[in-house]
Amino acid sequence: MSFHHLDQYASVASPLTRTVPAARVLGVAVLAVGAATLPLGAWPQLAVLGIVVVGIVAAARIPPRAMANRLAGPFAFLLLASAGLLFLVPGEPLWHVGPIRISEAGLERFGFVLGRASVALAAAVVLVSTTSFPELLHTLRQLRLPAVVTAALGLGYRLLYLLVDEIERLQRAARSRNAGAGAARRRSLMVGISGAAMARAFARGERTHRAMLARGFTGDLPSLEPHEWDRHSGILLAGLALVVAAVSLSARVTL
Amino acid sequence: MALLEVTGLEFQYPGGSPALSGVSFAVERGERVALLGPTGSGKSTVLQHLNGLLVQAAGSVKVDGVLVGPDTAREVRRKVGLVFQDPNDQLFLPTLMEDIAFGPLNAGTPPAEARQLAEGILDELGLHHVGGRAAHHLSGGERRLAALATVLVSRPELLVLDEPTGDLDARSRQRLVRLLRRREETLLVATHDLEVASALCERGIVLYGGAVAADRPLGDLLADLPFLERHGLAAPLTE
Repeated sequence: MSFHHLDQYASVASPLTRTVPAARVLGVAVLAVGAATLPLGAWPQLAVLGIVVVGIVAAARIPPRAMANRLAGPFAFLLLASAGLLFLVPGEPLWHVGPIRISEAGLERFGFVLGRASVALAAAVVLVSTTSFPELLHTLRQLRLPAVVTAALGLGYRLLYLLVDEIERLQRAARSRNAGAGAARRRSLMVGISGAAMARAFARGERTHRAMLARGFTGDLPSLEPHEWDRHSGILLAGLALVVAAVSLSARVTL
Repeated sequence: MALLEVTGLEFQYPGGSPALSGVSFAVERGERVALLGPTGSGKSTVLQHLNGLLVQAAGSVKVDGVLVGPDTAREVRRKVGLVFQDPNDQLFLPTLMEDIAFGPLNAGTPPAEARQLAEGILDELGLHHVGGRAAHHLSGGERRLAALATVLVSRPELLVLDEPTGDLDARSRQRLVRLLRRREETLLVATHDLEVASALCERGIVLYGGAVAADRPLGDLLADLPFLERHGLAAPLTE
């Protein structure tokens, strides 16, 4: 199994991992809401939130390179999703080629939206890097997320590992019989492997469902008791909420 | 009254040929029975009828006098603990502790008590050090024991094992056999491993082509080499 473990910093002793997972989840929510509600043009306030996130990354003892690697994929998606703003927002043109032009207002909107989303994204990456999946799942249950969602997440997590394992085995088997084949042949093999993996995942799901029924499953995934809140978690979360609220308020006052 | 009574069981998978044709046998309380047969003989299909996971086309299954059906499935599943062939099918939650507590929690046991039961069975099977891990972080032998733990924790009256040693190395296989020999539950083991069957059971039922070909003391069966060969079963490794 070569599947990379997202939560590898969950076992690193840090002020962040000492908090209960619920405080981390709520902290991410506070930062995301704080960033999302900043009015357009509140660059200094956005910078403060960015600094807060950098501080949290440092406190969590996540190496900058690891953080950058984890951010890269989702950031590319953000970039793509917000790129439309460059061209669609009307205003004084800064640059144009034929009918395509970028306005000053569009550039500012693009940069600000990207900045806000990046703050929330970085906070979420810190959360999944410092919180093991079982803890995260417990917390989501504790925070009253619908049972069907937490059940799907819990089963999906386990089955994902099995599926990756099966795909790796299929790939190895295909590679061992594929010496010297060209790129086109390899691509067609990948399609075959994907199909076989889907069929196996379906069969696995069916068998797992039977195994659940055999142990009395009636549609609800019951849970063992989750973590208890403590003083340290409460203080850190309250501190973060105060900072974000102050930043948000100052943006509204100054703009 | 026998703990398990299977009478005239018939079953066919959708679009397939008949998987079971009139299978009948009984298991007394405290007995240890091996369900023998080559791959595809219908062993797993029989086992999945014992707690109502599959519904027969004809015939009946009774557990402790209760007729297995949709209305009684919940009651029957408390009495019959089924350990599946592939432990990965049975370990579906993020940690082993949650997987083991799953059965008791479903039966209405309060979480604190379910955790105690799970810790107890982890200790009993020597798995206390891996309770917080996910199944994909366990070795093959640990996974097999973990799957067994998920069932033993509910204290079933009838312990049903489907190919329990299929993917184990010699040491893990020996450890599992020793552990099962110490258990007091009534045991039904589906296997094509005659060595494991002889180490665990005193009676053997041979399934061949979806029907019972023999139901005899295991010693007699293992001594009848021509019969074993005719029914796709190898001779014991020790002979």
